[in-house]
Amino acid sequence: MSATAGAPGAGAGGGKAAQAARAERARASAVDRTGLLAGRDLVQVRFGGSGGQGVILMGVILAMAGARDHRFVVQTQSYGPEARGGYSRSDVIISDAQIDYPELEHADLLVALNQASADEYIRVLRSDGVLVYDSENVTAVPPFKGEQFGIPFTRLAFEETGRKQTANILTLGAVAGITGVVTAESLRKAVLVMVPAGTEEINSKALARGLALRDR
Amino acid sequence: MERWHTHVLREKIDPSSMLIQGNRACALGALDAGVRFFAGYPITPSSEIMEAMAVELPKVGGVFLQMEDEIASICACIGGSLAGQLAMTATSGPGFSLMQEAIGYAIMVEAPLLIVDVMRAGPSTGRPTAPSQGDVMQARWGTHGDHPAVVLAASNVADMYRLTMAAVRFAQRFRTPVTLLADEVVGHMRESFAPELIDRYRLTSGDFDFSPSYIHPELVREVHPPHVLGSEAHPHVTGLIHDETGFPTNDPQKSEKFLRELYDKVGNHRDELCLYDVKNEGKGRVCIVAYGSCARSARAAWKLAEKEGLQVEVLHLYTLFPLPVEIIQKVARRVEFMLIPELNLGQYAREVRKMAENWTTVISMGKIDGTLITPREILDRVTELVGKYESV
Repeated sequence: MSATAGAPGAGAGGGKAAQAARAERARASAVDRTGLLAGRDLVQVRFGGSGGQGVILMGVILAMAGARDHRFVVQTQSYGPEARGGYSRSDVIISDAQIDYPELEHADLLVALNQASADEYIRVLRSDGVLVYDSENVTAVPPFKGEQFGIPFTRLAFEETGRKQTANILTLGAVAGITGVVTAESLRKAVLVMVPAGTEEINSKALARGLALRDR
Repeated sequence: MERWHTHVLREKIDPSSMLIQGNRACALGALDAGVRFFAGYPITPSSEIMEAMAVELPKVGGVFLQMEDEIASICACIGGSLAGQLAMTATSGPGFSLMQEAIGYAIMVEAPLLIVDVMRAGPSTGRPTAPSQGDVMQARWGTHGDHPAVVLAASNVADMYRLTMAAVRFAQRFRTPVTLLADEVVGHMRESFAPELIDRYRLTSGDFDFSPSYIHPELVREVHPPHVLGSEAHPHVTGLIHDETGFPTNDPQKSEKFLRELYDKVGNHRDELCLYDVKNEGKGRVCIVAYGSCARSARAAWKLAEKEGLQVEVLHLYTLFPLPVEIIQKVARRVEFMLIPELNLGQYAREVRKMAENWTTVISMGKIDGTLITPREILDRVTELVGKYESV
């Protein structure tokens, strides 16, 4: 444990052999990723909404799916002190290389669930990025020239499962389907691990509906 | 490996895709290091450590106590420690302030403890969900009187696991409280985490001996024999300056001897206690000295600089106290500037300056707006330093 004998290593990366094995597995999973952002070796994602919409959980699930694709991930968050309302955001970095700086410098993908977050975070979205928003909550779409998808996630979730709380999972499905930042298989597994016990079935339905939106 | 890392390995079926929150990794590190006693009071951004311990400790026969406040929490830990448990608590700035008096008591009575402070922006209630490194000097000098301190700083989720283990080991070996500093970003972030890495921190069976009479064989002459409650001898434990009987003394010679021994048992083992990592060794005119989240920014700045054709060295400190004098002075001799980015107004930069100013120029780079220092900000400062002095 002494500094000379065993100074701590570079961080979460593991040894060279482990890194090579991870890279190999990451390449294997890349075959299953298709979509607008599937080819990027570094993807920075921001989810924005208001407290209670499940924004932080979305980030956690996406990060877990990215980890299941054997890529390096970091998920951070920022939220106000309120339990409901207030702002909430969740950032995920998915990379083929080890991640040093843990926060977003800009976003390749912005998922906005309310007007305030669309207005606030559009400035961090790269011009070659992708904007996904809930078209019933974000009525005044901020000016953006790149790819954009306005989908009534909350309404679709209610139609599909009878519960608008599943909107976040449906959105995740749509995001993965359209952009390919994670594989559908990893996302499915991550959703099942993370959603509250007893809600697996309705959340799986919401996820499937979201994934199907890629074929619109 | 499996034997020592049971808790962390149970987290996920597939270890290559582990994703753990920093605070949870800290709790798992403590459990894997043998911590079986936790007393605390929840506070953002450290609460997840306590939540994990509340769930996990009863499963392994440990004791979990939610106390009425942080003063009671640390005092319960001292009690647990004196009764032969390696006790742990976790808190944030306001709670850490409340604990200070009892931390001094723990140092005096040589109770091995682990205190985790997940720093928020302060002072006072500050900003509970914003990161900061404002408690660095408090971790060193928060309790009154001259005393030794062992303070580690975690920069990522893997650190939260392995430095917690290291902290437990240091506390047990040197019979003293050890503070692990993290910040809101490190505590709350979730990150992929490779368990193969931690194999080299394998603990040996002696490291799990928390019996109250245990002293590591290498340290017999330096660590005072503990007073064991429940043994046949009459134990006496006091925060007053005491001699080997455990009873108070006013004898100047004995007082000085006692305090110097407390100091020396830590100070003489800097070699073991001071953990660090040097990147891009010996290259460039500037060394970025960083710890905690800022070390991540520093590493990113180094790679960014490399892309732009500029070399910088990075000294990543995992141990802040005892001061890593040797490595600081070694690096100071070969660079023109030491740049210290930190999320406070230069608390640790002043320490580095004291150690290094004979050989190099120490530049403090503080930020207190509750956001991280970006790699670009660091690199801009490096470029400015190198450019500014090139023409002179």
